[in-house]
Amino acid sequence: MTQVILAAVLGLLFALGTYLILRKDVVRVVWGVSIISQAANVYLVTMGGLTGVAPILGHGGEHPVACSVPDAGSGCVTDPLVQALVLTAIVIGFGTTAFALVLTYRLYQEHGTIDLREVSAE
Amino acid sequence: MSEHLAISTTHVVVAPMLAALVTAVATLATRRYDSLQRALSLLGIGAYAVGVAVLTQRVLSGGSLTYQLSAWPAPFGISLVADALAVFMLAMAALVTVALLVYSVVYVDDQGQRVSYHPLFHFMLLGVTGSFLTGDIFNLFVWFEVMLMPSYVFVVFYSGPRHTAAALQYTVLNLVGSALMLVAIGGLYASTGTLNMADMARRLAAAGEYGIDPAPVLGLSAILFVVFALKAGIVPFQFWVPPAYRAAPAPISAFLAGVTKKVGVYAIVRLYFTVFAAGTIEGGLGLPGFAGDSFLAFFGPVFFVMALASMLVGGVGAVSRENLDDVFAYSSIGQVGFIVLPLGIVATVTDPALRTLGIVAALVYSLNHAVAKSLLFLVSGAIHDAAGTIELDDIGGITTRFPVLAGSFFVGSLALVGIPPLSGFFGKLLVFDTGGQALAAGAPGAGLALGGALVGAIFTIAYLSRAWARGFWGSVTPMVEHGDTSTVLVGVVAALALVVVAIGVGFDPVYAFAESAAEAALDTEAYVEAVDPEVVAHE
Repeated sequence: MTQVILAAVLGLLFALGTYLILRKDVVRVVWGVSIISQAANVYLVTMGGLTGVAPILGHGGEHPVACSVPDAGSGCVTDPLVQALVLTAIVIGFGTTAFALVLTYRLYQEHGTIDLREVSAE
Repeated sequence: MSEHLAISTTHVVVAPMLAALVTAVATLATRRYDSLQRALSLLGIGAYAVGVAVLTQRVLSGGSLTYQLSAWPAPFGISLVADALAVFMLAMAALVTVALLVYSVVYVDDQGQRVSYHPLFHFMLLGVTGSFLTGDIFNLFVWFEVMLMPSYVFVVFYSGPRHTAAALQYTVLNLVGSALMLVAIGGLYASTGTLNMADMARRLAAAGEYGIDPAPVLGLSAILFVVFALKAGIVPFQFWVPPAYRAAPAPISAFLAGVTKKVGVYAIVRLYFTVFAAGTIEGGLGLPGFAGDSFLAFFGPVFFVMALASMLVGGVGAVSRENLDDVFAYSSIGQVGFIVLPLGIVATVTDPALRTLGIVAALVYSLNHAVAKSLLFLVSGAIHDAAGTIELDDIGGITTRFPVLAGSFFVGSLALVGIPPLSGFFGKLLVFDTGGQALAAGAPGAGLALGGALVGAIFTIAYLSRAWARGFWGSVTPMVEHGDTSTVLVGVVAALALVVVAIGVGFDPVYAFAESAAEAALDTEAYVEAVDPEVVAHE
């Protein structure tokens, strides 16, 4: 059940992000980009498997094998690697979103508008 | 004793990255002291070039070197792999960026250099170097980001209306590309169980044993290809190229076209010919027009069609432009087509000699394009510096007023066209040779490839001779008449023109280097052995 809900949520997030990127308002475009990159992060977390216990020895996981490994059996742990990856991706996403917002402001200063049709018409 | 020696040999792998990183930080810290900052920046690029030279010499004489971060064994740690392919790309990057930085110190205004130019330049170089050396697919993503972030700032460097608009398009497009790359990498990790490229190749070769379903891996690698095609500016992902190259300062346009684009090309060669080539789909793909069961049998026709489209779009675009930078930007799209075309041809052939030839053709063409296109963008920058414009109609008479610049442009153009004895001749020759041999071997579409390459080559002649005839020849315009430029700029341009000639005249060692790089790209086993991922048992 969790899988179905997560898949649906991810699909919605990607759809929403795509919709916003196609808008003519630059701020919405930046919103769209950050929603898509967050959706990619959530997706990345799910790649570690949704079952399993926390990957800490003695935390119920006396058999510390990641659930993503075939035939892991019961008592397997959630793959911690994807969470490390997501951490990196979140930091990078934070930096690029900040840059994109500053760029939006500069665009407004230079063009006096944030409507992409007016920007490209110049 | 021997342990200590072993550590110091593999440390040379990170030497170029350390040089770029330390210089980036040092130039950031010294930005209040103009001369010191520039001196450090130049010293840093010198150290980078020396590092690359030492690494290249070690790899070519002693085989691939692998640096395991913190001595964690592969596939658990992060591996940095310097094989012949990686050092070929590094040598190309070092050759071009040294010239670009010397040029930049004179070309970019004082205020610009003070603000951010030098740190960004070295961070971008760091990202490029990391992408060439990494043996880990998630790290490839990180290095791509390191390379892209300075490039966003460079596109908006002049910060005018045109630059902000171009930078927004470039940034948004690449951010979407990054999200896609993350999706592909996450999926690849979930389906193959590893991020280490060598380990992935090993597991794909024995997919059944590791419980890997090859079909999703193929799909995910196709998503990944979209990202690389975006970076390399291959049709239909080329539309960001002209505005971004026009907006960036001239040496950065040269950097983006000459070096950053080649990161996309490198990633395609490394991942699709070294790693994913190991994968097969049982019973073939079952798609019309795709024969064979290897992953490459799928990517071959895709590369092929996109390369042909790039040559045509780039050629048609370049012949009608009114501005030097636009001509060169569209030309870059077309030239990348020439680089990818031999890859597309040889992806579907099984003859190992022919496959090596195709990769050699792509690598030699990349080198030629890196040097010649950088040269052309620098000429355009020097003309802008002198005359204040690069509109073809306004720059008449360059030949009489600035003969060295005009002569260098001429050499660079002839190299792109492929006139012997310049570097471009061998690039074109190898591309056509690949097509011809594939045709002789009866590969499907080889005739089309040759025809397309011929049309692309004719377009190249057309747009460059048009730029020459309309821009450089003709009566001297007032802008050119009263213009003046620095001897350093002209000197760097002339030096690059000499490099173009030198690569062509002394082509033998270049060919040997490219050939060992191509063999390294195709030898998956040697790559796996160099990284040596320990076999992970699941009992």
